[in-house]
Amino acid sequence: MAFVSVDQLSKTFDKTAVIKDLSFQLEKGKCVSLLGQNGAGKTTTLRMLSGLMKPTKGTISIDGASPSSDIRSFIGYLPQHPVFHNWMTGKEFLVYVGRLAHLSKKEATTRAESLLKQVGIEDAKNRRIGKYSGGMKQRLGIAQAMIHKPKLIMLDEPVSSLDPVGRREVLTLLEELKQETTVLFSTHILSDAEEVSDELLLLHDGHIVESGTMDDLQSQHDSTRIDLSFSKEAHAFEVPISQIDSVENVQREGNQLHIYAKNIENARTEILKLASEQDWPMTKFEVSRTSLEDLFMKVVNQ
Amino acid sequence: MQWITIFQKELLENARNFKWIWVPLVFILLSVMDPLTTYYMPVLLDNFGNLPEGAQINIPTPPPPEVFWMSFSQLNVLGILVVLLMSMGLISAERKSGVSEMVLVKPVSYTSYVTAKFVSTLLLTLISAFIGLLASWYYVNLLFGEIPFSYYIGSVSFYSVWLMFIVSISIILNTAFRTPGLVGFLSIAALLLASAINSVFKTRIEWLPPQINAYIKGYLSTGSITDDLWITAFLTIGVTVILLVASVFILRKKELAA
Repeated sequence: MAFVSVDQLSKTFDKTAVIKDLSFQLEKGKCVSLLGQNGAGKTTTLRMLSGLMKPTKGTISIDGASPSSDIRSFIGYLPQHPVFHNWMTGKEFLVYVGRLAHLSKKEATTRAESLLKQVGIEDAKNRRIGKYSGGMKQRLGIAQAMIHKPKLIMLDEPVSSLDPVGRREVLTLLEELKQETTVLFSTHILSDAEEVSDELLLLHDGHIVESGTMDDLQSQHDSTRIDLSFSKEAHAFEVPISQIDSVENVQREGNQLHIYAKNIENARTEILKLASEQDWPMTKFEVSRTSLEDLFMKVVNQ
Repeated sequence: MQWITIFQKELLENARNFKWIWVPLVFILLSVMDPLTTYYMPVLLDNFGNLPEGAQINIPTPPPPEVFWMSFSQLNVLGILVVLLMSMGLISAERKSGVSEMVLVKPVSYTSYVTAKFVSTLLLTLISAFIGLLASWYYVNLLFGEIPFSYYIGSVSFYSVWLMFIVSISIILNTAFRTPGLVGFLSIAALLLASAINSVFKTRIEWLPPQINAYIKGYLSTGSITDDLWITAFLTIGVTVILLVASVFILRKKELAA
């Protein structure tokens, strides 16, 4: 049985369907990214999973718990724009939410201290949250989601509002988190999803259009080709390459050749053999795969 | 315990906002204003009244219970306004800003959340009322004549029931709406409506919550706690409990994020 299973989930706001028959499953210990454009329904999906919103129809089951039970004790959630009690200090807030999650005062304090260290805002722990920068708030937000060691942690756009440095730090943090727990995070930044997640869920217009690991997705939408660049006109090399069995098509573009093949491994071996035997003036050899961006655009434009 | 955690957080928040200082101060000010101005009125008129030379003013000195009651009336207008303004964002502001998205996604019981906020606000209100009216009682004794201390305790205790009802009105509107200004406005409207209903129906139903004020006034002048006062007090407590239960119910039904 899957750790999280979402079945036929729908959400309608004022007759506008935002989520339409969404179904997916998450496995334990995986880091999954929910990818989609603005308005695709990422936040709504996460809010329903965290219990902040009630689905119009469909069911959500987490770790086999019945849909009606209180799932809040084993999930952690970071909203897209975390807002805190600005009059509290970072440490006070963590202890507060820790105690709300039924930790004892002592446990909550120890946990708060270690999380403050882990997310890198230990120096600011006794400062009022009102004085925190955006990046610090985001990190405090991640810490509060982790305070009670949830089995599932959901982060809504954890890096979108951060500058490049902050983004890098939070991504590193995500890498650490996924060692400890199951992570589901939403993003519209493709490279972030590609970098940290094991699996992707591509959400478009309220339903999942594609899902699977990066490799799965690429092999499904395979358009693998080999790009070659030469230091001189590529005309002379076109013929020998097109004679390789597994090569289907060769296109020439000045000094470059784009080779489409049935069997990419075989084609690669053959081309490299020819290149070394005949001493070709090659400047670049690249097996280019569909980038997530190509895939995303392709899926979205369907 | 979770309830204590939320309660402590509310107390700390009120302390950091200096509510523990200014609310009691406002209540003291409102309570002593009428006894003092009533006592010094002839002097004030003499000095600043611009009366023609030789004018005779004869203001009969009101009896002490009546003067003490003036403080309650003052609190019933401005004191209650302070309480409503102070509590209008109690839950609605947390929901509006989005803090509740993070707090209520923890396994928090809605009953604890609502009642802890109710009790912390009530505590601040009651302490302010007790201190303010104590100051008023002191001046009335000093300037107008004796009122037994037990009358002070009795009247303020029954008045607390009325304040409790007011805070619960604010709480239920807090759970129903997420704009603090609207909550404040509707609370005032609800109280005015309650008073209006009471004025219309008080001959037929004698124990509606706003009517408790009339009975407290009666108690101050006679010193006897009437059955009407007891019944009204218990009914008011009952209505308060119903309002709180309804608040928890409404909050549970509401979607916390929007």
